[in-house]
Amino acid sequence: MPEHLAKTPFGAGTPGQAKAPPRGLRDERQARPPSRSSGKPAAVPSSEGTGSALRVGGPPSPRAKKTKKPAAQYDRFIPNRSAMDIASSQFSIARADADAPLDGATAAYQEEIARACGVSINKRILTFREEAPTSDRDDLRQVYSRPALKSGAATAAKRRILNTPERVLDAPGLVDDYYLNLLDWSAGNMLAIGLDQSVYLWNASTGDVDSLCQLEGEAYVASVKWTSDGSYLAIGTSEGDVQVWDAESQSKVRTMAGHQARVGVMSWERHLLSSGCLDGSIWNHDVRVASHKVAELVAHSNEVCGLAWRSDGALLASGGNDNLLNIWDARSIVPKFSKTQHTAAVRALAWSPWKLDLLASGGGLHDRHVHFWNTTTTARLNSIDTGSQVTSIRWSVEYRELVTSHGLPHNHLALWSYPSLAKIVDIPAHDQRILHTAISPDGQTIATAASDESLKFWRIFETRSKAGKHSKAADGVAAAAAATSASMAAAAAAGPAAPSAGGLDISRPYSIR
Amino acid sequence: MSVQAQLTKGKISLAGSAQVVTEFFRYGINSILFQRGIYPVEDFEAQKKYGLDIWVSNDQQVVKYLGRIMAAVEEWLAAGKINKLVLAVNARESRETLERWQFDVTLVEDDAKSGDKPSAPKSEKALRMEIQAIFRQIAASVSFLPILEEKCTFNILVYADSDAEVPTTWTDSDPLHVKNAEQVRLRSFSTDAHRIEALVAYKRDSELC
Repeated sequence: MPEHLAKTPFGAGTPGQAKAPPRGLRDERQARPPSRSSGKPAAVPSSEGTGSALRVGGPPSPRAKKTKKPAAQYDRFIPNRSAMDIASSQFSIARADADAPLDGATAAYQEEIARACGVSINKRILTFREEAPTSDRDDLRQVYSRPALKSGAATAAKRRILNTPERVLDAPGLVDDYYLNLLDWSAGNMLAIGLDQSVYLWNASTGDVDSLCQLEGEAYVASVKWTSDGSYLAIGTSEGDVQVWDAESQSKVRTMAGHQARVGVMSWERHLLSSGCLDGSIWNHDVRVASHKVAELVAHSNEVCGLAWRSDGALLASGGNDNLLNIWDARSIVPKFSKTQHTAAVRALAWSPWKLDLLASGGGLHDRHVHFWNTTTTARLNSIDTGSQVTSIRWSVEYRELVTSHGLPHNHLALWSYPSLAKIVDIPAHDQRILHTAISPDGQTIATAASDESLKFWRIFETRSKAGKHSKAADGVAAAAAATSASMAAAAAAGPAAPSAGGLDISRPYSIR
Repeated sequence: MSVQAQLTKGKISLAGSAQVVTEFFRYGINSILFQRGIYPVEDFEAQKKYGLDIWVSNDQQVVKYLGRIMAAVEEWLAAGKINKLVLAVNARESRETLERWQFDVTLVEDDAKSGDKPSAPKSEKALRMEIQAIFRQIAASVSFLPILEEKCTFNILVYADSDAEVPTTWTDSDPLHVKNAEQVRLRSFSTDAHRIEALVAYKRDSELC
């Protein structure tokens, strides 16, 4: 029997079995079978580990080998010994010993051991370098609007976007303050701008400039806002007053006092004027009644610098210097929800003109992000890191695009397509940060006012030439907007028709319910 | 002479087997991607294979991606350079491996010693039944695998011999083990040249423990 045992390793003598090291490990297990097999060799294969049986029984009786072979193939733990290399056989031994299902730690440990034993020297773990394609398909609406977007982007590529301003005006005395809102363009094609203590109206149809008012004392203009029909202008002052002016007669209709600090931002909802104050409060004024203050919304702990009613008047978005974005239900004086994703003052707020519950908000210097929100589900849909302070956001009415204005370091306008958020173009616009933007009533031209005290007009969203019947009228307005004194007469002739058409045009997306 | 003939035969069966195994991998990976919701349902279409309806991605990006992987895998299989193929499901944000589907590949060496009497080739039907069983298990595994709540992506790992030719599109990686894992062994199948054993490891649900 000892001779028999001794014979096994050498006796077999085939090249495959000459690999000594793994066998050495296995011999412990092999030690048993021969001792028993000495009694009745034929019974061994069925009762014991087959690998060893093969070799033990092999040389003495070739006939027995044949019968054992099938057993070798169906072994549960060691599928095929002869095919094994060092690593897998070693691993198999470990596995055969631990009959029970492996747990992860053991498996990992065993692989570590295998590696430590030098088994891994001839093994590599490889991975495909490229990342698997992602599946950003959660919002089905995005999927279905994608083809439309692509065609939009294609036309955008064809559309020439001039990176030179159509017109440049001086805006001397423009207060260089990020928290004020001093520019607005009315449906009647009047551009209002607050320059220090005065408010000027620039008639975009004729090019005429009027001084609307001059504040007294130390007060300066902190915000201007047109009603949606362009008939009244609200002016917020540094003293906390809110004045309402008639655009037609250029006279003050009323003053609504009460805020203790400057009113840096306002937003109209029909007869309701919301004003955001330095102290963080938002007041709703009903301009028709004597006791104008109908609600006070307190949720910001610092200056309110962004305020925007949704076009249907159901929701109000407010952004503050406390980095909060609040969404208010019109019927409630507690926020519907608050968002804290921004890490700097939230000044830029814009509701999408084509998708009611879509809101874009942009953060200040340390934030640089534009976030997109579904205000129905309160979900954040998307974000862009713009790389610089976001001072305002304007959506295009005609294209699925938006334009953002920025401060340092590039003081540029950026045009993005939505919802792909692909940047279409960067326009280096000003020498210093762009403070305010306004969109013309026909939706084609963006006005930008920057702290370099200039006011520039950019024709970014030029109407598609094949766009239907109203495009001509809109073009008329745009032409009028760029009118020189020479074409004054023509503009005046087009005047009555054009602004009304333009007014209609713009009032559609902003129409009330 | 006979050795030469045998070598040739062995090579052909190896290549043929590599094809079978690669096909299995492709359907297997697609099936896992579908069952585990790595991609949305509408990106998949059912294909008849192995007597089953198997859901296969029809997203061109995914198809191309897997195609490139499978081309390399088939070459390695044919050369016998591959030991394991692993599909690791990772959380997209944290990159943590949440699930790990492992297919051990063992080369079944044609018993050169049995020379004159080669083992009878496996019938196609038997092979199909074995593979079918694995697919049924993959589909059934959804019932015990934890729900993937995060957005997930996946990685394909290959355990290859060091002398395998590695295209530049592949790179060395760590094994991406699942921490605190539970493992379930699935069925195996074998062709005349390869034996494939399947195993799935997943994160143990801490709440149940």
